Amino acid sequence: MSVLKAENLTKDYPGTRALDKVTVSFESGRVNALLGKNGSGKSTLVKCFAGAIQPTSGAMFLDDEPISFSSPAEANQKGIAVVYQEMSLVPSLTVTENIFLGRMPKKGGRIVDWQAAHKEAKALLDTMDADIDPHQIVSRLSMWQCQVVEITKAMSHKPRVLMLDEPTSALAAHEVNQMFEVLRALKRQDVIIIYISHKLHEIPEIADTVSVLRDGVLIGKEDMKDVTASDILGMMFGEMQHKTRPADILPGDTPLLSVRGLSREGLFEDISFDLMPSEVLGIAGMLGSGRTELLKSIFGADPYDAGSIVVNGQEAKRKSSPIAMKKMGLGLTPEDRKQEGLILIHSIRDNLCYASIDKARKGWLENKKQRMEIADSQVKNLEIQVPNIRASVNSLSGGNQQKVVVGNWLNTQPAIMLYDEPTRGIDVAAKQQIFEIMWQQARRGVSTIFVSSELEELLETCHRILVMRQGRITGEVDPAATNVKELYAMCMGGEA
Amino acid sequence: MNRFGQLNRKKALDFLFDHVVEVILIILILAMGNISSTFNTTANWLNIFRNMSMKGLIAFGMTMVIISGQIDLSIGSTVALSGVIVARACRDLPEIMGISVSLACVLGMLMAFMIAILMGVIHGYAQHKFRMPAFIVTLASQNLLYGLAGILSNGFPIANTFPDWFSRIGVGKISGTNGLPIPALILFIFFLIMLFVLKFTTTGRSMYAIGGNPESARLSGINVLKTKIFAFSAVQVMSVMAGFINSAQVLSGSYSFGRGWETDVITAVVIGGTSMAGGIGTMWGTMVGIIFLGVIINGMTILNVSVYAQYVVRAIFMSIAVLVATYRAKKKA
Repeated sequence: MSVLKAENLTKDYPGTRALDKVTVSFESGRVNALLGKNGSGKSTLVKCFAGAIQPTSGAMFLDDEPISFSSPAEANQKGIAVVYQEMSLVPSLTVTENIFLGRMPKKGGRIVDWQAAHKEAKALLDTMDADIDPHQIVSRLSMWQCQVVEITKAMSHKPRVLMLDEPTSALAAHEVNQMFEVLRALKRQDVIIIYISHKLHEIPEIADTVSVLRDGVLIGKEDMKDVTASDILGMMFGEMQHKTRPADILPGDTPLLSVRGLSREGLFEDISFDLMPSEVLGIAGMLGSGRTELLKSIFGADPYDAGSIVVNGQEAKRKSSPIAMKKMGLGLTPEDRKQEGLILIHSIRDNLCYASIDKARKGWLENKKQRMEIADSQVKNLEIQVPNIRASVNSLSGGNQQKVVVGNWLNTQPAIMLYDEPTRGIDVAAKQQIFEIMWQQARRGVSTIFVSSELEELLETCHRILVMRQGRITGEVDPAATNVKELYAMCMGGEA
Repeated sequence: MNRFGQLNRKKALDFLFDHVVEVILIILILAMGNISSTFNTTANWLNIFRNMSMKGLIAFGMTMVIISGQIDLSIGSTVALSGVIVARACRDLPEIMGISVSLACVLGMLMAFMIAILMGVIHGYAQHKFRMPAFIVTLASQNLLYGLAGILSNGFPIANTFPDWFSRIGVGKISGTNGLPIPALILFIFFLIMLFVLKFTTTGRSMYAIGGNPESARLSGINVLKTKIFAFSAVQVMSVMAGFINSAQVLSGSYSFGRGWETDVITAVVIGGTSMAGGIGTMWGTMVGIIFLGVIINGMTILNVSVYAQYVVRAIFMSIAVLVATYRAKKKA
């Protein structure tokens, strides 16, 4: 049996302490769950073990031997493997080639020994009870099989520590069980498995121990059989008060947006809700709950199979588009601001004007003066910190980039704003400013849908929160009458 | 004082890097002027512009296409087809329809323009709706249009059918022997028009957006399909113009005209600083690229350098231009 240990591990970033004297150990032959909400420090801990970052102080041991890494490659050499959420497989190659990428077995030094390669791959897959054909092209595999190939690839290096970052986040419900079979087979080998997950209801099924981090501090490490789901929730969230929205923003009573029975196969089903003028409506849901797909369909960026969308008494056409929805007064700040929200190589000013390109014009021509005015006014109103408005938007910090995405849409004078994870990866002050912008718009009558997996934020900003899970709306809560723990339990589908 | 000087030096260096093609071009022109007494004469310069007018026109359209993140490889065949259509119309229509040659010529020209716009629409649709790579779609069109030109002309050049006024498009001059050649005049007029469209219209700005990041542009409610169709049509219409000039110059239409022009056109656009990845580029840059190519070809011909050596020199300059542009983009990011 081997043990991976952290002793008084601390990691400081300018202004924050991500890890605070964490002392914890993980044993081989068991699945060790590592839990914590966003920003709790769990990924920082994983990165320390994986050599991606260096701790400020404290020590790490693998079987009582002190370890410290200056790079992930070094950690890898010492037998520490990480399987990240994002797939790193080459879709067009076979399973075997992916497992042995860059180190295929060779004959005579140069020629690939296909027979040996397939045989070895098969043997590796067999040790994990995984029924996957090594000859298969990866793009033809299902998601869970891809994840298993990813793990097999990591295991082919004979690691002593295997860290799995949200291995089930991309899997459908029925795939999760097959994935767990593989993990159970893995326990027979002498490897330390650390399992990082958001999905609370999966933990009792697969984990043997559970360790919980909160605000960089280890709250505890327990044997799974000694704790209930409710205990774990308590450890994750503690007792905390959340702030609430300003009291002066009151929703109207005739719906501005009515969604009825909206469905898109495999992504979301039978979604119905009303959005009132000036209302800030939250949608709470984890990754894969269908929240992003729902917003995109409402906005006309993706199609939908059934249902209707009525904006201000006018039904949207079935074959919708962002162009049409923009005309009806909708705006969307997409989840991935760099890839979907901004044109990174272009200037801040240009990025503030793309959505309103049809407004700032005189006939065929672009109205340069008006364009500059609306760009400059957003910089001022949203307090975007810009060195030079002609600089590329790529040079801005995450928070300021997000404000550019928001400003781009506010320039269209929308009646309904859809925000998809607007606070991801931005600092606390910028988050607060984004909320202020929402409220400020709400006071003017603009309705808001705010999608987030940061549940505290929803409680802090919204009039109402819809809970979305596995493509359905499973509940509606009043932020004043609930807390983070309950909301989290609803999103996860576990009982609190 | 010292720091101020340094700052100015840095600014000057940045400026040089940003305008490296212009700088090399000026050096080239000055050098050529010193070596050859005939190079820097009005007659020679008008000659350069006349020679580059056809590829220049196409390059303006290609700039829009490439900024939009697309490519059009079919332009050479469009040049051939447009010439053949007009030549055939002038030959056959007067007899069939009992109309004058001039009217037949105008009808032929209109037909060529319509085909150009149709091709632009097809390219835009195929690329956008069916997600076919523009490279492949327009490569197919290159074959298609070449084939059609061959069929329409029965595989032989159709010569001496044009009315006089049509041939003036290719060889005419404004006022006297040393006046401005009409092809050069057309080049300048369309330079201004295309510059204006790209820089000052919403369609032009949309081209930068869809080339810079198609998904962001789509989610910003920009009409991506319409913009692509506009750009694809623009380059086709420019190619038809070039085809007219070309056929007017040689007084015939042939399926073999325009072959391989796309390489020169793309070379000029790229030397002018337009990014093949889309989203970056200017009309002015393309004009500089065109003059650059013209000066190299003209200058080296005056110096009696072989055509093949000219290609080598072109390759070197193109590489320098792209290398500098990539380096600058990396530094800015």
